[in-house]
Amino acid sequence: MAPRIAHVDDDSDIRESVSRILKKQGYEVDSYLSMQDFIESLQDESNLPDLAILDVMVESMDAGLTTYAQIHKRYPKLQTIFLTSLGDMIRPYFEDGSHEWVCIMEKPVEPVSLLATINDRLRNTGAAA
Amino acid sequence: MTITEFSWGKPGDQSLFGMNGEKLKLSDDVLITNIRWFITFRWILIAILVFFEILMLSASDILAKVGITEQQKWPIAIIIVLIIANIAYLFALDYCKSGKYNSPTINLWAQIIVDLICLSVVVHYIGSTSTPISFFYVLHIALACIFFSTRESLYVTILVCVMDAIVIAIDNFLINQAPLSALVKGDYILSESARRDGAIIWMLFLDILFLVVWYVVSRLSLIVRNHERHLSHAYKQIKQAQVEKDQYALLITHQLKSPLDAIRSKINLIKEGYLGEMTPEISEALDQMDFRAKNMSGLILDLLRLERLKTNCLDTAKSESIAIKTVLKKCIDKLTPLINTKKISLHVSVENFSCQCIPDQLEILFENIISNAITYSHEGTSVEIISEIISNHQANIIITDHGIGIESKELPNIFNEYFYSPRAALHNKATSGIGLSIVKIAAENNKLKIKVASEPGVGTSFTVVFDNIQLLKE
Repeated sequence: MAPRIAHVDDDSDIRESVSRILKKQGYEVDSYLSMQDFIESLQDESNLPDLAILDVMVESMDAGLTTYAQIHKRYPKLQTIFLTSLGDMIRPYFEDGSHEWVCIMEKPVEPVSLLATINDRLRNTGAAA
Repeated sequence: MTITEFSWGKPGDQSLFGMNGEKLKLSDDVLITNIRWFITFRWILIAILVFFEILMLSASDILAKVGITEQQKWPIAIIIVLIIANIAYLFALDYCKSGKYNSPTINLWAQIIVDLICLSVVVHYIGSTSTPISFFYVLHIALACIFFSTRESLYVTILVCVMDAIVIAIDNFLINQAPLSALVKGDYILSESARRDGAIIWMLFLDILFLVVWYVVSRLSLIVRNHERHLSHAYKQIKQAQVEKDQYALLITHQLKSPLDAIRSKINLIKEGYLGEMTPEISEALDQMDFRAKNMSGLILDLLRLERLKTNCLDTAKSESIAIKTVLKKCIDKLTPLINTKKISLHVSVENFSCQCIPDQLEILFENIISNAITYSHEGTSVEIISEIISNHQANIIITDHGIGIESKELPNIFNEYFYSPRAALHNKATSGIGLSIVKIAAENNKLKIKVASEPGVGTSFTVVFDNIQLLKE
């Protein structure tokens, strides 16, 4: 079965770009406009994705970070990538010690590096495409 | 229907007269500093007393001629008590766990009480009514007003009044023997009842004086503490404002950069063939578009970086001991794509040492210097990064390029914010012009010196001077 990837971004151009790249590589992509939509989709356990790509500043300054904290608590094994315009500049907003396992990618979406990172993350769970 | 109330009043505007003494207690840290100062002060006093005691013993003949003949044991007893007490305070402060019965406040109370008892003994022997020695009590009241809350300092004042009263009572009502001062006066001895009346008046006078001193000093101390509180409140507000400013800068950066990112994401989609085939001309045009957009993104992020370095308000801005090799490796890893495109050969020969710096900022500093070295190098040349260990505490990291160099008239200005060099801009159209301003602020924040040597057309070398290093074994 194709790995499922959830992508949350309020920018429709970015959503479209990511979904086009991933679908072409055979991933199943669910795009969400807001973190709330994504969290609601998780009510149904069968809907759990293999990997989540989160924007950071969606509804509020740190919606991505608070969502991450929530889902990481509930599903510690769910792989997450932050895809944000600010890149490493958001690091200070993470708590200490999370540097190693939080993956931050800076926009724009670059197909080659995005796919490489996704594959690398999914390999940890054994669900790579 | 939703109703929300908004108000923009300024919080915490308390008048000086509505202040509550209890709330304005000093913090433990301040108390401990004061305790140490108190103890040092007491050591000085003990030294003076010891000096006088030795003088008394060694020069008793000369003193006898002047008229001072009396040799007593009480000064020695006072010195011993003060020494033992001082050691006990220090011991309680440094070696005992602080708890319910060992707090800075209790320590201070013990000091004041022991000192008052010692002073009372001194007052008794020197003369409570006939000498001005009782005025030394005022010192204790003033100190209590500074260290304690208003109420506690009042207790000390009452204690002082009681002790002084007891001493005067003992001297004048219980012991019939005339005190030392009366002996010195010799020729006129007051009648017993007149002396007692005088003592009562003296006692009342002193008590009133003590209370007045307490009132004045505690009032002053309250005002000072209130100002201190206002200051710390203002400092907190500044800190909060800085955090909010950082968030605002972050938001603006995000809003400015997001559209560019969307455009560049689409460009990448087309370039990678996700939207169908394209001609080489289109591909070239896309590259050019992407290049310009990328430079603009870089500038926007650099502005945020500069803003952050200036305010220095985030928790990550904490100095820690970091190994220089780790920092340089991270920077070089980040810059590898740039190194490859410019076909630069990078030579790194660095002895590892650790320095006390803010990790993120040291990284930014080296990243900017090395990336400049690469950017302004001629293609196919080399960039050298070497270390120079001056002593066990001092080392330099020297980054040398063989590029366009800097003109001598431009060299003094290169670290100025928004300094624009047409020569540099001609060589590198992507310059934001604030890279070296970022280096300057990062160096300032980390107390680093930078030396720059350059010759146009030959190359430039940046020397970062570390003053406080520790050599690390490989």
